[in-house]
Amino acid sequence: MNRTFALSFSLKNTYRVNSILYGIKQIPLIKKLLPDTLYQSRVLKGLANVISILWEILSVFLGKLLYFLLMFICAASLYPQLNGAALFLHILLCLTVIGSYANTFMFNPTKDKYYAMILLKMDSREYALTHYFYAIAKAFVGFLIMGMVFGRMVGLTVGQCLMIPFFVVGLKLAVTGWDLLSYKRTGKIPNENNLSKVQWAAMVLLLAAAYGLPALGILIPQMAVLGVMGLAFLTGLVFIPVIWRFDRYPEVYKAFLSQAMNQMDKARQAASNQSRKIIAADTSITSKRKGFEYLNELFVKRHRKILWRSSKRIAAVSLAVILAALLIFWLRPEAKAVVNGLLMTYLPYFVFVMYLINRGTGFTRALFINCDHSLLTYSFYKQPRFILKLFQIRLREIIKVNLLPATVIGGGLALLLFASGGTDQPVNYLVLIVSILSMSMFFSVHYLTIYYLLQPYNAGTEIKSGMYQIIMAATYLVCFYFTKLQMSTFVFGLSTIAFCLIYCVVASILVYRFAPKTFKIRA
Amino acid sequence: MKFVMEHVSKRYGEKQVLRDVDFAFESGKIYGLLGRNGAGKTTLFNCVNGDIKADSGNFFIIEGDNRRNLKPEDIGYVLSTPTVPEFLTGREFLKFFLDIHEKTIRNPRPLDEYFDGMSIAPEDRDKLLKDYSHGMKNKMQMLISIIAQPNILLLDEPLTSLDVVVAEEMKQLLRSLKTGRITIFSTHIMDLALDLCDEIVLLNHGELEIVDKENLDSQEFKEKIIAALREDSHE
Repeated sequence: MNRTFALSFSLKNTYRVNSILYGIKQIPLIKKLLPDTLYQSRVLKGLANVISILWEILSVFLGKLLYFLLMFICAASLYPQLNGAALFLHILLCLTVIGSYANTFMFNPTKDKYYAMILLKMDSREYALTHYFYAIAKAFVGFLIMGMVFGRMVGLTVGQCLMIPFFVVGLKLAVTGWDLLSYKRTGKIPNENNLSKVQWAAMVLLLAAAYGLPALGILIPQMAVLGVMGLAFLTGLVFIPVIWRFDRYPEVYKAFLSQAMNQMDKARQAASNQSRKIIAADTSITSKRKGFEYLNELFVKRHRKILWRSSKRIAAVSLAVILAALLIFWLRPEAKAVVNGLLMTYLPYFVFVMYLINRGTGFTRALFINCDHSLLTYSFYKQPRFILKLFQIRLREIIKVNLLPATVIGGGLALLLFASGGTDQPVNYLVLIVSILSMSMFFSVHYLTIYYLLQPYNAGTEIKSGMYQIIMAATYLVCFYFTKLQMSTFVFGLSTIAFCLIYCVVASILVYRFAPKTFKIRA
Repeated sequence: MKFVMEHVSKRYGEKQVLRDVDFAFESGKIYGLLGRNGAGKTTLFNCVNGDIKADSGNFFIIEGDNRRNLKPEDIGYVLSTPTVPEFLTGREFLKFFLDIHEKTIRNPRPLDEYFDGMSIAPEDRDKLLKDYSHGMKNKMQMLISIIAQPNILLLDEPLTSLDVVVAEEMKQLLRSLKTGRITIFSTHIMDLALDLCDEIVLLNHGELEIVDKENLDSQEFKEKIIAALREDSHE
């Protein structure tokens, strides 16, 4: 059994190391420095091994840290009036029940299980048991330490904190043991990535209980929670022999992994099927235009759902928000001064808002998967004049799609400025509207330009460009940074307009210069 | 007309896939490109088609005394997995193609005549291409690739996954198209290559080499080809 564990652990480590090396190889510039034989390099391998082992150790705590921070501490800040310890135990009980069936370790179809048990035909029982109890031990240590830290923070006693890992692990053991028993009875194979309707409904109810009941001031009594915790641990103990003695791991895993791997392949296909599905099957859609305008019009009309629907929704929501603000002005006139002040200093915030609502990435993704992916294999399509012609048409189209919500937001902000008491410089109205419109235009140009210059997809419609991902992340970071910036709306508005204009010109020049070379399917 | 490759090289890391390839293809012939798995047939096609940039070398068209660089519109490329824009119907795709080539396609015919020529049934012509079967997509791709009468027709394993009837239709079509152009046809199926092609070219160790049929019968010729592929791979 030790040998099975050691072997499978080193297998898992091997492909984790390879994934790390592969990841490093995707970074632009660095990839040029690395030899193709990097998978043979001892130094790099050693380095990746260190990262891999550090990750294994960190993963014991990191997940739990985030779990407690988000699900408990952030949530608790919503209900400052409630007793911290009681609220903590209340949420812990609800979430642990969810985790006991949605995160079993045993029935999580992972690639390493597939490789080890199906492809390499390792002993299923030994593999299952060693990995299961290893995962349980990891969970125990993680909950022991993080439970102690956060439990003490909210005022639990040391004894109560110590109960947390026993409770979590006990309930998992009990549920898994029960699942194995019911497999013997019914032949039903559990798969935690494919939960039943009842399980989903239970999850919704439990989440509602965890966070909804406290809002109503209702908490499960502390003593009751502690009682359940103790009981769950004892039940878990009872089920350990069941799990240990279960003799049908080979058939369970064979059925369950092949079913799950099948699903994974389906999931991979689903992404491209999804894009195919969004093509409107309505052949009454036609176009009277010619050539590339014809192609574009048919594309836009048959993809109206994804191109225009969200843009219309965003416009509608923005309109609602603006009307709500106007209503507030009417009900509570004292809000006017605050909003007026915000409008005059917080325009930079709208860079991030406009970033969030821009449909550019969805547009280019649909363009690639449903159109360029196939047409780029035809040489006529790659003639420079055609690439540029289509770029112009698409630029116009993507700007149009994004302009609708931008107009509503820009106009709405100007209206709010007026309704909240106006400004002594009327030019501010114009600056608000034009700067919002140019931000929208900037993002449209930005995404389409990046798409034409980097064309990140390969024939399998996977993103294969590290540079593309870096630029996308950088775009996010820069836009996010603007939320921290406070500046006079007049100054910021004018600089935004100037920047957007310059960017559009530069981007068009770059596309004209380079796109005929860069706009192709990645190998 | 001749299609000439000069000093074409391509390497992926340590692996030299194309090694200073020099070759001249002549119009009117179908060339069968044979090579072992991973020999670089698709890489060669992708370099010609401009999808991959060769590390060095040039591609030329020679007509009479006139020598010029290869242009994208010289090439029609049919891939083994057919790719067609799925949001268009067959008729719309054809119309789009004819629209943008209205200056270059001499005396275009009515759309239905093109479909007739490819035996694409009338009821399928106004269906979205996403609902076409594999064979029909393949025919559509072939139609688009030949309609502009490209000087060079590249076919990467085009018949492998077609049913026998469609495959036979395609073979007939390729024979009828060969005059006035260069057809280069990559395949793993020896009998198909011998049946359809005028010349057999081997891609081995990054080099192109024509196999002379001399006066061998087809069995002897096959053995010669296999021997050449086998021994070269153990150099």
